[in-house]
Amino acid sequence: MTVLLILAAVLAVLILWAVAIYNNFVQLRENTKNGWSQIDVQLKRRHDLIPNLVETAKGYMAHERGTLESVIKARQQAVDASTLKDKQAAENFLSSTLRSLFAVSENYPNLKADQHMRQIQEELVSTENKISFARQYYNDEANRLNTAVQSFPDNIVANAFQFKRREFFELEDASEKKTPQVKF
Amino acid sequence: MPYSFTKIEKDKTVTIGFVFSFLILFYFAASWLIVALGKSYVYSNDRTFVFQSLNLGQSVIVLGIALVIGYGHWSYATSNLIAKILGVLRAESLNPKDTYHQRLQNIVDEVSVVTGGTKMDPVVIPTMAINAFAVSDFSGRAVIGVTEGMLARLTRAQLEAVVGHEAAHIVTGDCLATTVTSSLFELYSGMLRGFEALFRGGGLGRRRYSSAEFRGGAQGAVFVILIYVLLMITKLLSQMVRLFISRQREYRADAIAVRLTRDPLSLAEALYAISYRWRGAGLPAQELEAIFTVNPVYSALDEQKGLWADMFSTHPPVEERIGILLNMAHADAESLIKEVERKAKRPRISAPQVNAASKEWLVQKDGEWKGPFTLAQLPALDWITPETWIQPVGGDKVKMVYEDNDVQHALYKTGVGGGAGYNCPRCQVALQPLIYEGVEVFQCGCCQGTLVGETEIQRIVIRQEVGFSERIQRIAEGIKNEERMHGTRIIARDPKLLFTCPHCRHVKAKMLRMFYTEVYRVEIDKCHTCGMIWFDKDELEAVQYLIEDAVEKV
Repeated sequence: MTVLLILAAVLAVLILWAVAIYNNFVQLRENTKNGWSQIDVQLKRRHDLIPNLVETAKGYMAHERGTLESVIKARQQAVDASTLKDKQAAENFLSSTLRSLFAVSENYPNLKADQHMRQIQEELVSTENKISFARQYYNDEANRLNTAVQSFPDNIVANAFQFKRREFFELEDASEKKTPQVKF
Repeated sequence: MPYSFTKIEKDKTVTIGFVFSFLILFYFAASWLIVALGKSYVYSNDRTFVFQSLNLGQSVIVLGIALVIGYGHWSYATSNLIAKILGVLRAESLNPKDTYHQRLQNIVDEVSVVTGGTKMDPVVIPTMAINAFAVSDFSGRAVIGVTEGMLARLTRAQLEAVVGHEAAHIVTGDCLATTVTSSLFELYSGMLRGFEALFRGGGLGRRRYSSAEFRGGAQGAVFVILIYVLLMITKLLSQMVRLFISRQREYRADAIAVRLTRDPLSLAEALYAISYRWRGAGLPAQELEAIFTVNPVYSALDEQKGLWADMFSTHPPVEERIGILLNMAHADAESLIKEVERKAKRPRISAPQVNAASKEWLVQKDGEWKGPFTLAQLPALDWITPETWIQPVGGDKVKMVYEDNDVQHALYKTGVGGGAGYNCPRCQVALQPLIYEGVEVFQCGCCQGTLVGETEIQRIVIRQEVGFSERIQRIAEGIKNEERMHGTRIIARDPKLLFTCPHCRHVKAKMLRMFYTEVYRVEIDKCHTCGMIWFDKDELEAVQYLIEDAVEKV
């Protein structure tokens, strides 16, 4: 009888423990999902802003047709990308074309002074920040999920209920990747 | 490692529970003492005073009373918590047309994204001071407030770091504890202030309260003194409660802000910029100091280290906070100071102006573009209709006449001219909206006079985007050197010469000719119905120059 009671108690503790771990996993999974949808929202916002930007810039820098067209093209690629890998590549490319557009726009003081342009630029800066913040949040949560999925004994529950690792979302900054130059 | 929300969540509930018990205990002690004194009074005679303690039953009743009062006080202090605090600080909601406010909204949204979607509302305090605060209440509403001075002086990255710091207070929940404790004792300090004012104004000097009003003289005086002493005790208690508002939370918020925005250097720069300029926010209530980024009241205690200072002050020394952040960023203080000073001296832009005359339109007739025509020339074209295609020179947006407010107004004097609906009081042409120092003002394309709203002018004088030409500087210096002793702000004028206010023209309100202030003696026209101000050409910049010049000298 006592043995039976002890067994029941142990079983109850085990179940409670599993439930707690399960709930933790659910929380983490929802956080990563939420983070991912936030990235999507912000990427879409960036795609929506670009035609506006190009439209405004066109009036001032008619001679930079090439730069403007490459931005439009890069945007289209980013919109069309479906897999995670494609998306990352397309967004990176879009970022680099935008950077060159802003670099060129430095030569057009009228464009820089344009109130509308300044507003779009502020919106774009804000969206870029949101993308990187959303990515940061997503990657942090994905990291927590991945750690939990692999660590013992949580991985038993993870395997039983099919909680899987999530891939990180990497948007590389071309400027960060540059190897440092040594000058003498 | 992700910061542990569960641990912090627990801290929060413990703090609030502690403060609540503290409150009940205080009421119990106070009412016990009052009842016991009353009882003693009844049992004593004129000669001897015998202190009568309360028995258990009476104590329980007193405890019940204390619970009721304490709960009442608690619910009064925590209901409408945020609205009350924002009212005390005279905070304003954002104006979506203001570019500085748009930027603040964007930054708060960005920080919200990085915290995983915490809802935070930004507000501004219209003052030159540089500071920020966060408040939140039990319903989960959270507000981040930033002063106009901060919006004007900090760079985008610095502002982002400050908002990150405030968001850290909100997500960790220590903000709630601070807000509740701060507002709990605000009630008493308000009463104390009222009480003291009553005595200063009436009691001692003019004897507004005759002794007959205190029936029974001495007893009344004892009663008044008792209340005063009790209120003083609450003041002492509120200072004691600060013991529980730990200095550590500022360090922790800094650390979490860095985790959120990954930018320790900007936070260090912002802290330096705040602490070495005027940080006060024109705060009416000392009890609210705990909610600010840097203590708005400079207190020597805050800048001290050691156990005593750690216990009794709400904010840690700024120097130490900057030191920790610099360590994270692997930077040194010297380059930080240089960087802050470099960024503070941003290049100024020349004052933006509307150029009504230069805007020209191409007009399509029988499939061919004619023109260009200025707005003034358009009415002369007798073949133009509301459905004629037009195109501004320099842009390639083609639209119909009825789609453009300016053109429509020029042709038919209908619609809203320039989108504003105001006419120049001097030239009677439509004023054009213009973004000046981030706010919307209305300018005349002919005489370059500017119409500015009452709240907008406060923001314009705080912001420092526009630089001043030598001409403006000469004009302003001339005004400064003029020793005109009018003794009054309003300049007497023939009423017929006064302008009609472009905003209140329907009620035929006149604008008074007056000086901007007694100190800054620039002549302006101000409507006393709506508060809008008309600045003739150069006058707005002259006011700005004079104020900036004076602030610089302080």
